[in-house]
Amino acid sequence: MKVNKLTKLGLLTCLALIIFIVELRLPDVVPVPGVKLGLANIITVYCIYTFTPAETAMMLFSRILLGALFSGNLMALWYSIAGGALCFAGMVLLRRAADEKNMWFLSVIGAVLHNIGQITVAMIVLKSKAVLGYLPVLLISGCIAGLFTGICAQLVTGRLNSRRKNKSAEK
Amino acid sequence: MTGRKIFILITAGLLAVSAVWCVYLAMRPAGEEIVISQDGKELYRIDLSRTPYRTIEVEYKGRKNVIEIKDGEVRMTHADCPDHICIETGKLRPDTPIVCLPNRLVIEYAGGGLDGTAR
Repeated sequence: MKVNKLTKLGLLTCLALIIFIVELRLPDVVPVPGVKLGLANIITVYCIYTFTPAETAMMLFSRILLGALFSGNLMALWYSIAGGALCFAGMVLLRRAADEKNMWFLSVIGAVLHNIGQITVAMIVLKSKAVLGYLPVLLISGCIAGLFTGICAQLVTGRLNSRRKNKSAEK
Repeated sequence: MTGRKIFILITAGLLAVSAVWCVYLAMRPAGEEIVISQDGKELYRIDLSRTPYRTIEVEYKGRKNVIEIKDGEVRMTHADCPDHICIETGKLRPDTPIVCLPNRLVIEYAGGGLDGTAR
């Protein structure tokens, strides 16, 4: 891997981590566990459209691991990994179907899959189907949060890539 | 353009299905019986109509949860876990259980969950 790319990925991991930690400090809007904006997803969606799946996976899992370490909530690591893995797999598969103008859709599906992954792990850990009652609420919040982060990612990617094009045109 | 329309349709469909699911869960009659279970095992089965006031202590690997039943309402009043999500959940509602993930504790109405729909 070229140093250029490695630096970019490191920088993005760092950015995602900062967003993740800052978001943890925000008060919860809805008192339902699992409902959150997931702002760090902006970086993941941006990476899906800019880097290869393997590079995105590296970024995402370093962020999840370090995020769990820095927030001191290692209990939540399994939920994050399951959610992150499912979200990542879904987004990589959908990447072919959705072009850059439909990034929001990728993000919506990613968010929804993330919630499904977390509920699945919770069901396994608790050995109870009771948590399934949370799923519809989480699906709705996932759709809204995913839409929001997706639109953010779309704006970010559009601006970053147009700047890149301008730079290469100047040369 | 067609791709975009399909995506909007899927998202709208997902939202609609979840909303209907939510309403369905909320409308379901709750019954009077609650179940407290830990690690998949049922610990207590309590009839709310016959229990005006009761506190229950549950332990898990040295950590403690206190559940309070008062006037037909159930809530978690104390938890040793780091996040206290179960306490913030407030009183038990028929559609969503009170869950303490670190202590593997679930409080739900006996009619709830998938078992309830099968009946």
